[in-house]
Amino acid sequence: MTILVIIAVILAVIPLLLILGDVFMRGAPAISIGFLTHLQKPPNVSGGGIANAIVGTFTMVGIASLISVPIGVAAGIFFSEWATTKVSAISSFMNDVLTGFPSIVLGLFVFVIIVYPTKQFSAFAGGVALSFVMLPIIARTTGESLKLVPITLREASMALGIPRWKTIFRIVIGTGKNGLLTGILLAVARATGETAPILLTASTSIYFAKSIFQPTASMTVLIYNYATSPYSSWQTQAWGTALVLILIMLGLNLAVKLTIGRNLAGTRTEL
Amino acid sequence: MDSSAVKLETKDLKATYGKVQALKGITMKFPENRVTAIMGPSGCGKSTLIRCLNRIHELTPRTKVEGEVILDGVNIYSPKVDPVAIRRRIGMVFQKPNPFPTMTIYDNAVAGLKLNGLRNKTKLDALAEKSLRMAFLWDEVKDILSKPGTDLSGGQQQRLCIARALALEPEVILMDEPCSALDPIATAKVEQSIVELKKEFTVIIVTHNLQQAARISDYTAFMYLGKLVEFGETAKVFEKPKSELTEKYITGKFG
Amino acid sequence: MQRLLDKGLEELTALIYKMGKVAEKALATSIYGYVEDKDTSKDTHELSESLISMTGDVEEKAFNLIAKYQPVASDLRIINSYMQVAYDFQRFGRYSWDISYINTRFNQKKLCEKWVFDYVRKMATKVLEMVATSINSLKSLDPEFVKKMSRTEQEIDQMYFGFLGRLVEEARVTNECTLSSVLVVRYLERIADHATHIMEAVVYIVTGEKVTLR
Repeated sequence: MTILVIIAVILAVIPLLLILGDVFMRGAPAISIGFLTHLQKPPNVSGGGIANAIVGTFTMVGIASLISVPIGVAAGIFFSEWATTKVSAISSFMNDVLTGFPSIVLGLFVFVIIVYPTKQFSAFAGGVALSFVMLPIIARTTGESLKLVPITLREASMALGIPRWKTIFRIVIGTGKNGLLTGILLAVARATGETAPILLTASTSIYFAKSIFQPTASMTVLIYNYATSPYSSWQTQAWGTALVLILIMLGLNLAVKLTIGRNLAGTRTEL
Repeated sequence: MDSSAVKLETKDLKATYGKVQALKGITMKFPENRVTAIMGPSGCGKSTLIRCLNRIHELTPRTKVEGEVILDGVNIYSPKVDPVAIRRRIGMVFQKPNPFPTMTIYDNAVAGLKLNGLRNKTKLDALAEKSLRMAFLWDEVKDILSKPGTDLSGGQQQRLCIARALALEPEVILMDEPCSALDPIATAKVEQSIVELKKEFTVIIVTHNLQQAARISDYTAFMYLGKLVEFGETAKVFEKPKSELTEKYITGKFG
Repeated sequence: MQRLLDKGLEELTALIYKMGKVAEKALATSIYGYVEDKDTSKDTHELSESLISMTGDVEEKAFNLIAKYQPVASDLRIINSYMQVAYDFQRFGRYSWDISYINTRFNQKKLCEKWVFDYVRKMATKVLEMVATSINSLKSLDPEFVKKMSRTEQEIDQMYFGFLGRLVEEARVTNECTLSSVLVVRYLERIADHATHIMEAVVYIVTGEKVTLR
């Protein structure tokens, strides 16, 4: 039995290791300080970089987070703390549906409501589209994490004469915060790797965007463009970008794991 | 009743859980600075009763409460009364110990105070020590106050929860089968603290352990199927109960 | 559904009933000996000793039940009462032997005036009745018996004092008969007293009230 389980684990991990290895080998040659800090250059011209794409991705994910984290956490609180109401049950169901929505459809939706009326591709629209991707994930994981907090803790808090809102924010969220952080990370990672919605909303650019109401480059779209181009130098850069993307993901994961670890070890909620 | 005053009383208290009528009109008086035990078979409504006394019952969805609960002459269910404020005057200890898992022992003890806005460190320290002493826990934790509350054993955790309730300096303390999850030694320590507590507080304890009721309470109430069957001084109830139903229950012929 | 305690209570009750039988027998034997002028001291002594030993058994069993089962209410009242009733039965045994011994040691029937002999016999009969009633009320746990018997207890008290008074007035000599009859009458009064105590225990078992019928 144990042998079968071990084999299953190895089979599950192999694809990941293969991909990481492949990306590393193909992408490493492209990495340099210049790669990370210079603007894009035409193919076969040396000194090109993906700086604007990095900035663009960060900007859009940042906008998306600003929108989706507060709303998503609030929705999650609603799903958990008012779980017995009909409204909560229905909206929770609808939220679950939204989690699996094809992201290109979300992009199309934002195209229709923001890009078309303003006749403008923009980083802002891209951020909004990404927030639609992030929101259901954050709401769902927040809701589930908070539901895991035992009822007895809420009762203990209420029995101390602590009002409900404080009970939710200080005790329930305080106890479930690891789940919340993990959920937000999942959403950020997902958004960072999205391509389709950004294509339809932020388009692309070879420059830094001067404001968020202008089109911007992003790492994922850049990979798409460069990898499908006929130029080998660009293709290498595409692999390099992929490597950067993956390293960013790993970094995010590590950061959250460390924070959660510190929380568990010290087990402190600041009152 | 002896000459002690009435601290808390109920008048025709009724309560429902969804469709079930858990309390069918309870009228009783709880004497001040005494321990009153409430006993009865499973499903008799004893837990519902004390959860109505500090308005915790209504936090469960699809519940309804009718009738009056009067604390020092004021009905706590009247619309003018803030339930949150009542819960600071009527504290509660639950069946399973439930210290806050992300807090230290010290923070657990003063959680009610801090979360209600008290910041003064001197006062907090004093109240932490006082309430931990009253719960007979101080000597065991005074050197490890910054350890997580969940590091303690079950019996210690329960005494920490008692200290947490005491720190708010309530007037009444409700206990819902506080020892049922504890081993006999921990139970003995908790019982010891309960007997001391009545000097300053009014204690109401739900228990299914008849001998415990006989050991530590001054008054005993027996409930059955949502009604109050008998209430009297513990010694008298256990020597010669007035109701045959009570007699059957305490001699173990049913329940 | 039988509780664990019930088996113990059954055994305890059986022991008490057995003691009651032995105590009755001891009393009857000693009074028979007095009336028929026979030496029954050896028999009554044996019976008295067995009652003492049985009292020890009852106490041990009762404490055992209390420690194990922490009985309350009617169970506790019964156990408590049985311990006291066992002592009453033990006293019956002791007094029976005392009567037999006095009878053998001191009684010279030919020296007795007839009225003395008849008086004592009458009192003894009444006392035996009382003892039988007390044991029956213990078995039936009927407190009504008890109310009637308090009157009988008073009668016996009167007979006791009456005898002493009459003896002072009418006995022309002090001899072994008069001495022994005083002692016997004294024991009879004590026996009646203990029988009343048994009936008070019955009232306590049934109602939880502690009454004094004496």
